[in-house]
Amino acid sequence: MSRRSLRLALAAGVLVALSLVVAACGGSSSSSTSAGTSGPQTVPTGKKGGTVTVLSSGDVDYMDPGQAYYTFSYQMLYSMQRPLYYFDPKDSTKEIPDLAEAAPQIAGDNKSLTIKIKPNIKYSPPVNRAVVCDDIKYAMERAFSANVPNAYAVGYFGDIVGAPKTPTNGVKNISGITCPNSTTLKVELSKPSAGTIYAAMVMPITIPVPQSYAAPFDAKNPSTYNQHVVFTGPYQVKSNSSGELTGWQQGKSMTVVRNPNWDASTDFRPAYLDGWEVQMGNNDAAVSSKRILQGQSLVQGDGAPPAQVLKIAVSQYKDQLSFSPSGGTRYIAMNTQKPPFNNINVRKAVIAAFDRNALRLTRGGAIIGPIAWGYLPPNFPGFKQSGGLTPPKQFDYLQSDTGNAQLAAEYMKKAGYPSGKYTGSQQLLMIATNADPGKKTAEVAQAMFQKLGFKLTFREVPQDTLYTKFCGVPKSGYNICPNVGFFKDFVDGSSLLVPTFYGPSIIPANNTNWPLLNDPKVNSLVQTAQTTPPGPARDQAWANVNFAVTADAPAVPFVWDAQPIIVSKNVQDVNDDYSNSPFMSFLSLK
Amino acid sequence: MLAFIIRRVLWMVVLLIIISFITFVIFSVLPSANPVLLRAGRNASPELVRSITKTLGLDKPWYVQYGKYMQHLVLHFDFGYSYQNNISVRQEIFSRMPATATLAFGAMIIWLLIGIPVGIFSAVRRGTWADKTAMGTALVFISAPVYWLGLVSLYLFSKDIGVFPIFDGQGTYPTSGNIFTEPVAVIQSLILPWLVLAASFAAIYARFLRGNLTEVLGEDYIRTARSKGLGERRVVYKHGVRSAITPIVTILGLDLGILLGGAILTETVFNIPGIGRLAFDSIQKSDLPVVQGTVLIGAFFIIFLNLIVDVAYAFLDPRVRY
Repeated sequence: MSRRSLRLALAAGVLVALSLVVAACGGSSSSSTSAGTSGPQTVPTGKKGGTVTVLSSGDVDYMDPGQAYYTFSYQMLYSMQRPLYYFDPKDSTKEIPDLAEAAPQIAGDNKSLTIKIKPNIKYSPPVNRAVVCDDIKYAMERAFSANVPNAYAVGYFGDIVGAPKTPTNGVKNISGITCPNSTTLKVELSKPSAGTIYAAMVMPITIPVPQSYAAPFDAKNPSTYNQHVVFTGPYQVKSNSSGELTGWQQGKSMTVVRNPNWDASTDFRPAYLDGWEVQMGNNDAAVSSKRILQGQSLVQGDGAPPAQVLKIAVSQYKDQLSFSPSGGTRYIAMNTQKPPFNNINVRKAVIAAFDRNALRLTRGGAIIGPIAWGYLPPNFPGFKQSGGLTPPKQFDYLQSDTGNAQLAAEYMKKAGYPSGKYTGSQQLLMIATNADPGKKTAEVAQAMFQKLGFKLTFREVPQDTLYTKFCGVPKSGYNICPNVGFFKDFVDGSSLLVPTFYGPSIIPANNTNWPLLNDPKVNSLVQTAQTTPPGPARDQAWANVNFAVTADAPAVPFVWDAQPIIVSKNVQDVNDDYSNSPFMSFLSLK
Repeated sequence: MLAFIIRRVLWMVVLLIIISFITFVIFSVLPSANPVLLRAGRNASPELVRSITKTLGLDKPWYVQYGKYMQHLVLHFDFGYSYQNNISVRQEIFSRMPATATLAFGAMIIWLLIGIPVGIFSAVRRGTWADKTAMGTALVFISAPVYWLGLVSLYLFSKDIGVFPIFDGQGTYPTSGNIFTEPVAVIQSLILPWLVLAASFAAIYARFLRGNLTEVLGEDYIRTARSKGLGERRVVYKHGVRSAITPIVTILGLDLGILLGGAILTETVFNIPGIGRLAFDSIQKSDLPVVQGTVLIGAFFIIFLNLIVDVAYAFLDPRVRY
């Protein structure tokens, strides 16, 4: 896990032991939904004008849409840029046309998409002209080049005909992306995977980039377009006449102003504010959270209020606190390719024995979301078809939230341990993060593993080390990764289940299939789901994958969590549940 | 004297090379995390990882990487580019230098203004209640970690979240200005950080000077001065303090050098966009070129100010000759 999911992990990280202080508190959401679940959000009409200050710890990773991948970057980007499709905050489970005029026409063989583009959406200065199809084609092509290293282009858009499998030197033509005219984009695929491509078109890769303007920047490696981005949304980073982002002092601050070329009649974003200032370097979350709650016109950037501030927020500032469902699952991964977890009964015994409520408590308890049993979170496509919040009966090892020692012993016996406990001599390597709350989760897990007789070598390392040296590197030889979780890149089962449980997704570095699950049945079901057209059948297909993965018991899922979000009293908040952050172009001052 | 300075400057270069090498080994050969994987993003293909490795020049052997780095540094004063955002490290460091320098020099003035008079006062009135109170208070400030003191002062005196809201503008250091272009905003945002940073230094200096001065005031030549009928004020200030303060200059050079390399904790607690915060952020991101740059700048200031101190000794202490 890195980038977006890492940001989420760090952000939610401050919820340690929250349950101890807020267990009695119910919904405290102002405008958003209850924790851990997504669904309709009330979007009030706001007052025009005014500015706010966003307090953040770090900077965005990139403003270049071809490279941006952090949650905080998304918070900024999606109020300044317009991808082909995005989400109305009223319903974050269904994409709506943004730059596109309507949903794509998907060919009967599921191998091509035709998208009409709105004709009069203009770029910010100095480009000033209207967006045309070629700009989206170029934006997607440049993301496959070495000059614009994009983390997901090959993974999510690799089925486009002619899409390079390795980063190209310079921006190369992709034959599967064509423009029959200036407002029509056609995408042809080598596989019938139009459903995945359509869902992934909410990602920044489809934000248009004007080739004639950007090409000189993209000729450098790495591209310098990041400092010269032009915008299509209601806002832009303050820039000079040549397009240089003078309002962005990297690592320090960002000044966002209105885009003079934005036409409100073409956009669903109301853009109430006149702009905002991002103040970076607020590394102490307790101080910045208190400032937001007690101050005026302040908004949360990256990070989240820590436990002690959240306790105050829940009791004293209820109207300023809301939760945005993170759209993912946290779990304890067991390496299914190494003994003893290559035995499915041992894995089932572990899940049965685990007190998953205790694990959830380490991250904040019930307030942050329901206990997970599978890998599609609430209200995600396929969640209902999977059975909803209650685990299906056939998964007996997931029926108890607090653990079932008797059932665990039965599974251990089936696995060849007559005493009902692990009696092998093997020392199992468990790699955990050295920072709370992940550290606490790992310590609880350690105790539970030991209760089942496992002998552990328990190593605590920094979060980045955890992923780049151990859990993301299969040959590092880990047995247990207790601090993993995966969160959506877009709203489709392929975003959550392919990188994490699909055998061919296993890669030597930055791997996210942490259990190293490579089950032919799961792989086959994934391939079926990927080629199923959008709609109920596709949702069912991903539910089937979810079922098959859960049946393999590769991990102990324990929470579908949510991100707490706070704003100042005079700010009317609306959350973007896609980026799990305040939706800047919907915020207003009261 | 000139030969001494030349010798010390040459040693300074050697030391900086050694420091750059050690930093390089720690963060490049033995990194806590792989910067390529951090930049590539989750589930990035091996091809993308290879491509980024090549772009960052990390596909070359470590000694080639180090050689190239030193070549750029020596020939072009180029510290390289950030792995994370491709910004020039030199530009980053220079843009943050004013904030760090303003913080360091401002705090230094405060701690000298407090520490020296208190130290003299305590030495002259040693054993009295006033001396005991002053030294006891000094001990409290020496014992209090700066980050703790910083947070406590914010919660007590910051206008927005403080119990006694006195100081406005904390955490809002103007990112596009400096003490010359926006003096009011800068001073307003730095009052509390200056006081916090100066607190422990003032306490150390006071105790140090008190100890030195107490010793000096017992020397034979002080007794001689008194017996010649010189006034007590003249004895203390002209003969006592001048001699007792010399070691203070040594630690002042060291302390200022360290702070100019970045007051990491103070800058982090008070959100001051200086070199210390840059170092803190870059270490978290395994951004070697920035880490290397900030360490070298810090080392340079420490060594350089030591040289200045050594030279100053010749003027302060008649016994010292080079």
